[in-house]
Amino acid sequence: MIFALRRILVTVPMLIAVSLAIYALTDSLPGDAADMRFEKHPESKAEWREGRGLNDPFVVRWWRYIGGVVGDFDFDRSYLDDQPVGGELVRKLQATFELTVIALILALLIGGTIGILSAVFPRSPIDYIGNFIALAGISMPVFWLGMLLIVFAVNVLGLPFTSNRVDPLLDMDEFVTHLYIFESVVRFRFDVFWSCLANIALPAIALSSIPMAVITRMTRSAMLEELGKDYTTTARAKGLRHRTVILKHVLRNALIPITTITGLQFGGLMGGAVLTETVFSWPGLGRYIVKKGVEARDTPVIVGGILLVATMFILVNLIVDLLYAVIDPRVRREA
Amino acid sequence: MTGRRWKTFRRNRTALLGAFLVGVMIFMALGADLLAPYDPETRQDSFRAPPSSEHWLGTDENGFDVYSRLVHGARASLWTAFAAVAFALLIGVPLGLLAGWRGGWFDATVMRFVDLMLAFPSVLLAVAIAAVLGESSLTTVILAVGIVLVPLFIRQVRAAVLQVRNLEYVAAARALGARESAILWRTVLPNCLAPILVLATLSTGIAILDAAGLSFLGLGPPETSPEWGVMLTKAFRYLRHAEQWILLPPGLAISFTVLGFNLLGDGLRDAFDPRQSS
Repeated sequence: MIFALRRILVTVPMLIAVSLAIYALTDSLPGDAADMRFEKHPESKAEWREGRGLNDPFVVRWWRYIGGVVGDFDFDRSYLDDQPVGGELVRKLQATFELTVIALILALLIGGTIGILSAVFPRSPIDYIGNFIALAGISMPVFWLGMLLIVFAVNVLGLPFTSNRVDPLLDMDEFVTHLYIFESVVRFRFDVFWSCLANIALPAIALSSIPMAVITRMTRSAMLEELGKDYTTTARAKGLRHRTVILKHVLRNALIPITTITGLQFGGLMGGAVLTETVFSWPGLGRYIVKKGVEARDTPVIVGGILLVATMFILVNLIVDLLYAVIDPRVRREA
Repeated sequence: MTGRRWKTFRRNRTALLGAFLVGVMIFMALGADLLAPYDPETRQDSFRAPPSSEHWLGTDENGFDVYSRLVHGARASLWTAFAAVAFALLIGVPLGLLAGWRGGWFDATVMRFVDLMLAFPSVLLAVAIAAVLGESSLTTVILAVGIVLVPLFIRQVRAAVLQVRNLEYVAAARALGARESAILWRTVLPNCLAPILVLATLSTGIAILDAAGLSFLGLGPPETSPEWGVMLTKAFRYLRHAEQWILLPPGLAISFTVLGFNLLGDGLRDAFDPRQSS
């Protein structure tokens, strides 16, 4: 309990520092979207800046921004049209979240299975396949893999190349969130569910390449380490079946490092998805930050977007640490 | 490398493959002017032509010779990656050394800074830095990728110093009356070189991938420059019009180079620290 409280309390200054850092970083952006907007009326730009409070000192603006985010979940308004950006950021975040979760499930199922098998059968074909996945996943540019998947789907499978999250002809007026897959299951709308899965398949496969590589490697080495320990020999000596030893004893202990690495991958994927999203025109947060934020110099989109991703990252790490303490009591005592 | 380590390394076939791949790419980068039959930014007489005896890998949508661009791309990619890693070394090694050696408030400050940088997903952080730096060029990419790598080096060097600082030979150096700075640079640093070398090798691969990613997002060098990330981006944009194999040369070049650095880095780690090898 004390461990959990302390761990949660450490997160608060971290979040404050992250928001300060990203606010300071974008404060020095050369030019912003308003330059273009007021190109013909430079005098009204000064007035607009004053009205938006952009001439206040840095700390005042940052404090007001944080107050808005924490108090009203308000991520400031766009420099282009003065509309709030928070709603769109959250919608995009949900699209990225869904993609990340599906990719991670794929990585865990395939990478985990191959990792276990290659530890149990070293130097077998499955071990070499695992080795190949582990090396290819970290050496291939993820956007190149995405391009190859598109070419493969269009030419070999004869699929039309569309870039939607779901068939636009389906009636989805009742949907309140942008977590389409999750909500379609809850609402028993399996037409939407299947359409979502069909559309998410390729980007999820591409995005899963890196975590699959890491998880395959990690599972294999964690399993090998546990297989060499005394309790494994004891379990075998008791005459337990091979299957029971592997699944009930060895795998359960190997799960601790696997959980950690999966959690860490999740945080990284949320931000790293930007390349995959760009290849597949997936309407996610990373692509939104680059297109609407960086390219159009709309500062609130960059600040809000990166702040959201970094917060997710920190929170996921927090959850992983807490889970870790639940699985492994030794962590609690050390803290 | 001492004899034993060299022996371990030489017996490691995958590490040798990695060294070979890296060697080929460095050879291509150094000899680009001799190896490339055409200037990478001069129009040839055909557009989007398939491979032929004149143009080994065909020509692209600008009429540039793909093989020449690929060879010159090795120079751009390796230069970007080496420069970014050099930048990370230059900032990360002294900070990591001092943090690990001094401890106290300095260590705490540096490590909070490391935690802060690592709280941002690396690709997005590089994007934000590239945006702040403004103009899209190779220099921007080098700085953005280099800054993102800095916390990794600080953490690695600090960990290495913590392992070394209380060993007997450090105490011996102190007993001999060596000055603090001399102990740090002449005794501690040389004993931390192995993990630094391994990390530098592995992060060269990361740097190549990140740089290509930034190019793909439009934050890299201009569209005509011979760089692998740019080549991939353009090949993808003209995918509907061009022969699709045009995706292969730059993608394979990036993958094999990064694979080379990964295998080489793993091999070096196995040679220097047999305990950590898998």
